[in-house]
Amino acid sequence: MNSIRNWICIVAAAMLGACAAPTSVEAPSAAAPTASTTPAALNIPVEYYRLRNGLRVVLSEDRSVPVATIGVYYNIGFRIEPKDRTGFAHLFEHLMFQGSKNLPKGEFFKTVQGLGGQLNGSTRFDFTNYYEAFPSNALETMLWAEADRMRSLEITQENLVNQQGVVKEEVKVNVLNRPYGGFPWLQLPQVANVNWYNAHNFYGDLEDIDAATLDEARAFFEAYYPPNNAVLVVAGDFDRDQTKRWIEQYFGSIPARPVPPLPDISEPKQTAEKRVTQKDPLAPRPALALAYHVPPRWTPEHFAFGLIDEILLQGEASRLHRDLVQRRGYTDQVFGGINLLGNMFNYNGPMLWAAALLHDPATSRDDILAAIDENIERIRTEPVTQEELDRARRKIRAELYDLVGSSTKLGLVDLLACFALFDDDPARINRIEEEFAKVTPELIQRTAQEYLRRENRTVLFLEPGTGAASGANAP
Amino acid sequence: MSTRICTALLGLFLFAGTQAADRAPEPGPPRPLTIPTPAKIALQNGVQATFIDFGSVPKVTIAITVRVGAINDGERTWLSDLTAELMKEGTQQRTAEQIAEAAAEMGGQVAIGVGADQTTLSLDVLSEYGAEAVALLAEILTRPRLPESELPRVRQNFLRNLSVALATPQAQADAAFAALLFPNHPYGRVFPTPELLQSYSIDDVRRFYEDNFGAQRTHVYVAGKFDRASIESAIKRHLGGWRDGPAPLRLPSPEPAEPTTVLIDRRDAPQSTLRIGLRVIDPSHEEFMPLSVTNTLLGGVLTSRITMNLREDKGWAYSPNSSVSAYYRHAVWAERADVKSEVTGPALREIYREIDRLQSEPPTDDELKSAKNYRNGTFVISNATRGGLIGQFAFMDLHGLPTEWLTTFIDRLYAVTPAQVSQAAREHLDPARMSVVVVGDLAQIRKQLEEFEQLPKIQAQP
Repeated sequence: MNSIRNWICIVAAAMLGACAAPTSVEAPSAAAPTASTTPAALNIPVEYYRLRNGLRVVLSEDRSVPVATIGVYYNIGFRIEPKDRTGFAHLFEHLMFQGSKNLPKGEFFKTVQGLGGQLNGSTRFDFTNYYEAFPSNALETMLWAEADRMRSLEITQENLVNQQGVVKEEVKVNVLNRPYGGFPWLQLPQVANVNWYNAHNFYGDLEDIDAATLDEARAFFEAYYPPNNAVLVVAGDFDRDQTKRWIEQYFGSIPARPVPPLPDISEPKQTAEKRVTQKDPLAPRPALALAYHVPPRWTPEHFAFGLIDEILLQGEASRLHRDLVQRRGYTDQVFGGINLLGNMFNYNGPMLWAAALLHDPATSRDDILAAIDENIERIRTEPVTQEELDRARRKIRAELYDLVGSSTKLGLVDLLACFALFDDDPARINRIEEEFAKVTPELIQRTAQEYLRRENRTVLFLEPGTGAASGANAP
Repeated sequence: MSTRICTALLGLFLFAGTQAADRAPEPGPPRPLTIPTPAKIALQNGVQATFIDFGSVPKVTIAITVRVGAINDGERTWLSDLTAELMKEGTQQRTAEQIAEAAAEMGGQVAIGVGADQTTLSLDVLSEYGAEAVALLAEILTRPRLPESELPRVRQNFLRNLSVALATPQAQADAAFAALLFPNHPYGRVFPTPELLQSYSIDDVRRFYEDNFGAQRTHVYVAGKFDRASIESAIKRHLGGWRDGPAPLRLPSPEPAEPTTVLIDRRDAPQSTLRIGLRVIDPSHEEFMPLSVTNTLLGGVLTSRITMNLREDKGWAYSPNSSVSAYYRHAVWAERADVKSEVTGPALREIYREIDRLQSEPPTDDELKSAKNYRNGTFVISNATRGGLIGQFAFMDLHGLPTEWLTTFIDRLYAVTPAQVSQAAREHLDPARMSVVVVGDLAQIRKQLEEFEQLPKIQAQP
């Protein structure tokens, strides 16, 4: 049902991401706590196979608490939605909850929630996902329900119109009727990229949302939602053999279909710095954001950039926080990361690293930019200290543990699904730590030299409106 | 479900396209969640500690709650927040940067949050650093420097965040709504004026700290995998010698809230932000469970009546929802929705209609069972995390709920009857006693509102 914005961590996107659920975490898998010995490497169980119709299946068992989670990830993100239909991938995500052969409108929600499950969906750059976390005794029902809508979407004109209404209200509540609604998550890709696929309004213009037709929705389902364009992940408390039988039973006979070829989503190399000024009539204070294009995913430079992000931007021990927040008092937080709609692994194409802050009119943009540049220059010209590097890696390990320790395991399901969908290799989740361990201070410096160049960046200045127009008075 | 039926379904699916409607397979027998029994200790000065051994990943969460919150502000709104923020700005031993570094060394970050009744300091770290994490939090709690040098900067941040909140319709609505429900009470004072915020001096902050923080108000929660002996000894060493301080503050009950409507103009707003609700019984009341289930059924979940009506039937709103929020010895039921401006009046009418309907028509057994199952699932999922368990035990401690409250939770949940739901709706969710806040484009919506006869009297805006 829901959306893009649920997933945005306005407050510091963590490395492994997943805007963590409000409550955190806990469970199994890893080593027992030990004092001062080298911690055992994370070893998440991963079983991976394909059904004959091409559906990729990942199983990750952990029976410590009676909760199971399933995620169905389709290889269709908003990046490649139809050109005259901005927001269509997200609108379609809503339609997947509107009825299938054996679950007429409303019944999907009732089936999942009526068995104690929590559910949602989201639309991102390169995938659309659907997931349920539930008391583990409901697993068969959940698999049946997900299979039913993969097999047989049945939507009506009335339901389409209903969800066009809902989605427009979603865009209003998340973007149009609030200050900083699109800042910088929705605005930056549109100004920093040039290829339409990376640079359009992926939440959708209201007119485009209104223009969508039932035939287009059916064609979209036919094209992008066959089993051979999807991954099913089951994590948590389940019996492996029984679960495999259910998966075969419910998903095995859904026919494969040809999938359209991907368009060219590459982004040409940027050769000059861009500066863009936009106005937010509802915003009471100015803001600014920076975006740099990042190295290709899962390369040594990409892992180096992940550490640069930690060291520069993530948390109160990061350089930008210490300098801009603590020492200079320009703002109360600098937020951002690689992929503002997720994390550094769950996308498959060109991507931006962003840093953003709100400030007061009395603080000049030039001073703020100069301070940021000082920090950027330092990481380009001086090797990072061993202490900072160790700290960054320790934080990553702590986050990896939470991935498996979470009761809903949504972060784990997400990474397993993306590594299956984009890399055909979900087991690489167990190699993340070792890839970070290979990064040297020299590689970090070289990566910073190459990617943190001014010509590789876009600066977005957000100008405030008239103090949020009418609503600014204290009630 | 049995294997035999599974096989039959498989057969049907092999001839997909022609099969009759299939029914969802029934769930298997539930596997109960074992909630760990916590160990508790109390120090002589009044500090309490709860140890929850849970999970197997090598991490531990330390959370220290102190019974200091908005309730202690009196009319000096956000003084508690300002004090908490300045506690992070350095201790007698460490600067703010050193605090941040020390926490990061352990794989975590110190968080301090202030609510209506409590301030919570927390740190989530790799297990081997548990005792150090206790020491760091205890240092921040008992020996903050509250540096004058950092006050202007922190205040400036608060002013900026205040301006953003006041430009956000949901925050505007929440503030006006709290003011209606808790007249002349700190719970009703959500935002200070910029002038008030400007007036706080470092002496005000230090006095607030001295007057309010102390052992008798403090409870340490430890959850995850940890070495009990070293953590317990760290708690005793770092908190055992702290001053007793005052007992938690008890205020007289706030005045009754007169049902009132407040309209806040937000010119050209494409949506109206609604708050409808009233004060209700708090979690220590024995009818809280039926009320809580009633809320789930009415607006607490996507499949609830109001949400299905406004969203899935009408398409007027994205995520309308209701909740019961608990304060110490008080609670509030509220429906919150951002609806299309053109249908502000009709949306209010639908919300009232659903409340009225629930009072006269008990839910069906299926509908009620579904709501209970949902709550059961939420209970299992949230109590299977370190943070969730701490939240659960801290909630019980704040509201003075006995251990049985937790151990009988599921039984009490499933014991709620359809008649009790209607009764709870009648007794606790009487629309005639509700207050309403609307933030929207008044030029466009005022007429719609005036046509809605159940709307409480509109309060004139100052």
